[in-house]
Formats: sequence, structure tokens, C-alpha cells
Amino acid sequence: MKKMKNIKMTLGILVIALLGMAFMPAPKKITVKGSDTMVILSQKWAEVYMKTNTDVAIQVTGGGSGTGISALINGSTDICNSSRPLKQSEMDKLKERYNTYGIEIPCAKDGITVFLHETNPVKELSVSQLGKIFAGTIKNWKEVGGPDTDIKLYGRENSSGTYVFFKDNVVKADYAANCQTLPGTAAVVNAVKNDKFGIGYGGAAYAAGVKHCLVKKDDKSTAYEPTPENIKAGTYPITRYLYMYLTNRPTGDIKKFVDWILGPEGQKLVVEVGYFPVK
Amino acid sequence: MKRKLLQIFKFAFLLIMIYSFKTASAQSETDSLGAEVTTLKDKVFGLEERLTTSDGDLSKLTKIKLSGYIQAQYQHLEAPNVYPSSVFSVRRARIKFTYEPVSGVTFVLQPDLIPGNITLKDAYAVANDKWFKTFSLWVGKFNRPNYEVEYSSSNREVPERSRMIRAIYPDERAIGAKLEIAPPNIPLKVQLALFNGNDGISISTPAYNFGTGKWDNTSTVGQNTDFDNYKDFMGRVTYGFKFGNLGGMSVGAHGYYGQIKANSKDALKSDYTYDQSFDKIDKGVPKQWVGLESQIYLDLLGGLAIKGEYIFGVNSTPGYYVSSGSVALPTTSVLKSDTLTITSTTLKSNNYAPAISRNFSGYYVYLNKNIGKKNQVAVRYDYYNPNTKLAADEIGTAKYDAKVPDVVTSDKIYSGSDPVICTNTITKTTTSNKLSSGTADIPYGTLTLAYSYYYNDNIKFMLGYEMPMNEKVGVVDANGVGNVKTDYTVNGVPGTMYYNEKINQNTLTLRVQVKF
Repeated sequence: MKKMKNIKMTLGILVIALLGMAFMPAPKKITVKGSDTMVILSQKWAEVYMKTNTDVAIQVTGGGSGTGISALINGSTDICNSSRPLKQSEMDKLKERYNTYGIEIPCAKDGITVFLHETNPVKELSVSQLGKIFAGTIKNWKEVGGPDTDIKLYGRENSSGTYVFFKDNVVKADYAANCQTLPGTAAVVNAVKNDKFGIGYGGAAYAAGVKHCLVKKDDKSTAYEPTPENIKAGTYPITRYLYMYLTNRPTGDIKKFVDWILGPEGQKLVVEVGYFPVK
Repeated sequence: MKRKLLQIFKFAFLLIMIYSFKTASAQSETDSLGAEVTTLKDKVFGLEERLTTSDGDLSKLTKIKLSGYIQAQYQHLEAPNVYPSSVFSVRRARIKFTYEPVSGVTFVLQPDLIPGNITLKDAYAVANDKWFKTFSLWVGKFNRPNYEVEYSSSNREVPERSRMIRAIYPDERAIGAKLEIAPPNIPLKVQLALFNGNDGISISTPAYNFGTGKWDNTSTVGQNTDFDNYKDFMGRVTYGFKFGNLGGMSVGAHGYYGQIKANSKDALKSDYTYDQSFDKIDKGVPKQWVGLESQIYLDLLGGLAIKGEYIFGVNSTPGYYVSSGSVALPTTSVLKSDTLTITSTTLKSNNYAPAISRNFSGYYVYLNKNIGKKNQVAVRYDYYNPNTKLAADEIGTAKYDAKVPDVVTSDKIYSGSDPVICTNTITKTTTSNKLSSGTADIPYGTLTLAYSYYYNDNIKFMLGYEMPMNEKVGVVDANGVGNVKTDYTVNGVPGTMYYNEKINQNTLTLRVQVKF
């Protein structure tokens, strides 16, 4: 008899629990997609934010800025991370689909770092030399003061905002056909680490284990290392903003998340991950 | 002692033997490992080689991009002269092939594969300057530079373009060359283009024989063949502003400056009077207009857009051959003074229309609102007055008639002697060269309502209702019958639409669009 009572009680609790679960507000989901450069930073933001906002589920994926922007246009992400500004053609697509220009939120600052193998005697390069190296015009380290050996190029895939930014601002032409494209800046760093005559580019946040190349604006300028001070001061020549893009002005949970990112806590994480705050 | 030494020697020998055996065995293991590493290395190199080849092949394929869309629809047409009034159709079925062999150079081909009517919509090459990233040169067949023309049908918020744009830019595309100037980081765009100018229109071309002073024969010039030596210039400038994160706007203007061969000995002004300045058949009649445009985008609880354009100017229609006829009358014979005259008479008629240059004006205004990510409502009002020089009661009355005198020729052949036989062949040619005002001059205002549901990125459903409203034109006689009308026959039953009344020409469209 007592056993029966226990079973009934257990069943009752189970039904109440199930009902409770059914009426519990479902966690609100925010999707973030885009820049591989920003993926670690974005994951960190999501991870820390969700600790104090348990009713919100934030899903972060990379794929590159171009992929993120396409996802924003086709409506499959709420927030797009991009390491480059929107192109006019992409803005036009947003206008056509949503009747808005899109909302641009600069959320961090970054310097594109040029990676060299630790043993490479070359210490500094001008933006023009870098452009020629990655365009394939300069092919041998000897031409820029290094050993008489072919230069091995490592870069990002064309869906990457870093790829586009570096191409538009440094290479200013097509990348050399022998530039090996890799998925993510970490892969570029790893490749240069294992190649004595390699050179690659990527975000500063991934720069562990290789040598930073000092970069000068032109042949007459001073070369600067991509240090936080130089990037903040703008003396390091290859700096850029990292952006979040939305189709419309954020409201509700997305607005709270964006405000938090731009607030002291979010910006503190920007510094922790290795980038620079926007304020 | 000796024995002990011998034992030590034996033990040492044994140790050396064991060591030698182990070393030999290790050596053999190392050798076999080395061989395996070499084999693996070869395999990796082989794979690398294959990967490089595959990469090369794949990179060629990535230079080709394929996109397109299909619009299938059901329409209910309310106009009385249309049958069937309830139809399923494929409105557009386009595949766009884009090939970029090198960065900055693009080739585009876009056929429209509508069942029973396959046409080539786009065929052009674009070369972008790689130094300033500002200039691009287009050659081939592509959209004329105008906002509504260049706005893709797959994105448009209502089923069709406005009436005015369809009239002045038939078929949207034209064959020619275009220079586009769009400096990076400046929201300015300048387009300068040169076109054949007769794109989208078919013209019946009677060939005028200057030797005989007669019109010989006719042929039809299609839209893909040039018709004259006149080239039309088009220019468009747009500039964008942003209101921070609230939205932004674009303002712009475009102009068309061209001529088209009159294709007639006569040309008319907009009020159907004879143009005295016109003197020869290959003289150009004007196609000249100016447009002002603006698009405003606001983020007010979702996207909101107000877009509009006003265009005014002169558009001309070349003269054209209408029809000809030939009737043989019964042969007559008359015997008079020993001469038998056999007369055969043929009545010939040629009908031509003179060229006409009409002053026109029109505008369109869109109000689009997005509700969430999936819903969009749109309202458009467009107005087109194809002839601003005619008042409503002059339409149907204004006309031109060249009153060409009849030409009679007689060809007599005599034979025999008693009686003399005279074979008289008479040809009487009547030429009409006239044009009357009518349905082509009626102003229309059209209200279009549409709702779109974006099921996902690829599929869109649209419900549209287009309500064209003709202005009441013409004059009504004592019996209450208007003089501007269209006669029609539907299922053997004749009918007439009188334009002194509003005529219901509304169309309901339910469209599904699949885009890839």
C-alpha cells in the first residue's frame, strides 16, 4: 500500500516537473556568425554573457566575414561578425531585402600582423613590399634583405574579412597563385611556425610562437611592431576595426547583448583576448 | 687461472655475438622502417601532386558562378477584352552565368527560359580598373541606367515595373557600352552610356526608293538589330547619405538624349500637327527626357522605404507601314471605231503612319514596409501621361491626314488589225498617310498593393493587386457613345471598351519565386 503511494507521489512529481518544464520560458537564442578573426572573442563574449544571463542562448560560428554577411542578408543569423566594412554591393542587398542600410557596430580594434619564422633574418617590411610579396612580384627573400630562398606565402581563404582587408589595403592586386590559403589565422601561424621561409598574415590575437614583422608605411617611414600602443596610436600601418552588423537597430535581448559588449565588461574581454577596445 | 680467463673470454665472445645479432636485427628494423617512411613520403608527395592538380581544376570552376530565379504565377485578369482571364504562367525563368577569368573582368550571360519564348536578357562583359578601383567599362546588352530598370525583378516588392518605365524603357535592356564611375569610400555613382536606341521596339520599315519616289517593300527591325545611325546617350548620377543608424537616402538624376530615324516623310508634333521643320525620311525625331529620383530608407520598427522618380520629356515613335491591299476589278470590253478595248483595273492601297514626337511626363512612388524578417507590404502609385499636349477631350479628335492624291497609271498594248485590240491595264494606287490620337495618348494612374512572404532565403510568395485607372477621355456624341474606344471579340462575342468611362483592367497575381 505504502509502495503504491510512493509510486503515485513519484508520478505526480514527474507530471508537475514536466508541466513546469513545458511552461518554463524557452531560452532566447541569438545567433552570431562570421569573421574567423573574431570567433574567439565572440565566443568569449557569449560564454561570459550567458553566465549572468541564463535565459539567453548565444550560438557563435565562424566561416569568415563574407559568410557572415551572406547569412545576415539571407536572414539566417541575428548578428554578423565582420573584420571588414560592408561593401556597397552588400549594403544594396540589405536595402533590397530589408529596406535598411544595416546597422554597423564597431566593437573592437585590431592590427593585422605579419608573421615570420623566428629564424628569418628579415625584421621589417614596408606595406608596398608586403603587397609585392603577396602579389607574387617579389618572390625571393634576397629581394628584401633575406637569404637567397623562395618566399612561401600563407594567407586566408577568400571568405575571410582579413583576406579582403589585406588584399584591398596591402596587396592591392590579386594574390599570387602560390599563396596557400588556410582556414583561420591560427592555421596561418602554425604554418609559418613550421616553415623557415614562410610569411603569413592574420589577427594579432593569434600571434603566439612566431615572430612579428615590423611594418612601415613606406620606405622612408619608421617601422612599427603591432603592439597595443602602436595599434591604438595608429602608428602601426595595418590597423582596422572589427564590426558587428545587424539588419535593423537591435531590440530586446540582442540590444542587451550588444550594449553589454560595448560596455566595460565586454570591452575588458576585448583586451583579454588580445584586441583593442573601441572606446 | 687460465680456465677462468677462458671462461671470461667465452662470456665476452657470447656477449659480442648477442650484441652483434641485436645490432643486426635493429639495423634490419631501421632499414625496414626507413623503407616504410620512404613509401609513405612518396604517397604523400603523390597525394600532394594530385591535390595540386585538383586545386587547379577546382579554381577554374570557382570562376564560374551560377544564379537565377523562377517566377511561376496564377493571374486573374479583370479586363473585359482578355480571354482567358484566369491563367497560370511562368513569368520569368532566368539563369545567370557569371564568369570571372581574372580578377576584375566579368562576363555575364542571362537567358530567360520562359516556355515557348526563350530570349537572351543579358550578354555583357565588364572590365574594372584595378588601379583606382573606380571605373568599370560595360559592353554588350545590359540594363539601361535607371533606378527601376536596374532594380531586379527578383527583389521588386510588386509584380511589375511602373507603366511609364515599361513604356520608355521597353524590355529594360539595350545594346551598347557604358562607363561606370564609382569611387571607393564615396557614395557617388556616375553612369554614362551609349546605346543603339531602338531596343525593345519592333519597327515596320518600308524602304523608300529615292529613284522612283515610291515605297517599295517592308521588313521588320527587331530589338537586337540597329535601325539607324543615331546613337542614344544616357547618363545617371546618384549620391547617398546616411542618417547614422536611423537609415539613409539616395538622390539622383538621369537623362536620355537621343534620336530615332523618323522612318517617314512626315513627322508630327505632340498635338498631332505637322512638324514643319521636318524635311527628310532619315532625319531623327527626338527621344529626350530627364528624371529625378530619390530613395529613403528608415529603420522604424523594421525597414521602411519610400522611393520615387519623376520623369518628363519627349519620346518619339518612328513612322511605320501599316498595311497594303490589292483588289482586281472585273475586266470590261468596249468596241468603238474598230477598236476593242479590254480594260483590267487593279486598285492598290498603301497605308502608312507618320512619325510622332509626344511630350510625356510621369512618376512612381513606392512605400515599402518590412514586418519582421519574413513579411513585407508594399504600396505603389504610378502615373503616366504619354501625351501632355493633348487635353482629355482632344484625345480621339486630334488627328493628321496627309491627303495623298491617288496615282493612276494606264498601260495600253495594241494588237491585231480588224478590230484593233487594245489591252489596257489600269492601276489606281491610293495612299493613306495618317495618324489619329487615341488609346496611345490616354493617361493612366495605377495603384498596386502587394504582400510578400519570405519563406526562406530561396522562396518568396507574393500576392499583388494592380489597379490601372484610365483617365476619362474623348468626347461623347448625342447617343452617349464615346469616340475613343477599343473593339474586341471574346469567344465570338464582340464588345467595345469606351474610354470616356473608367475601365476595369485590374489584375490579381499570386506568385511563387524560387531563387538560387
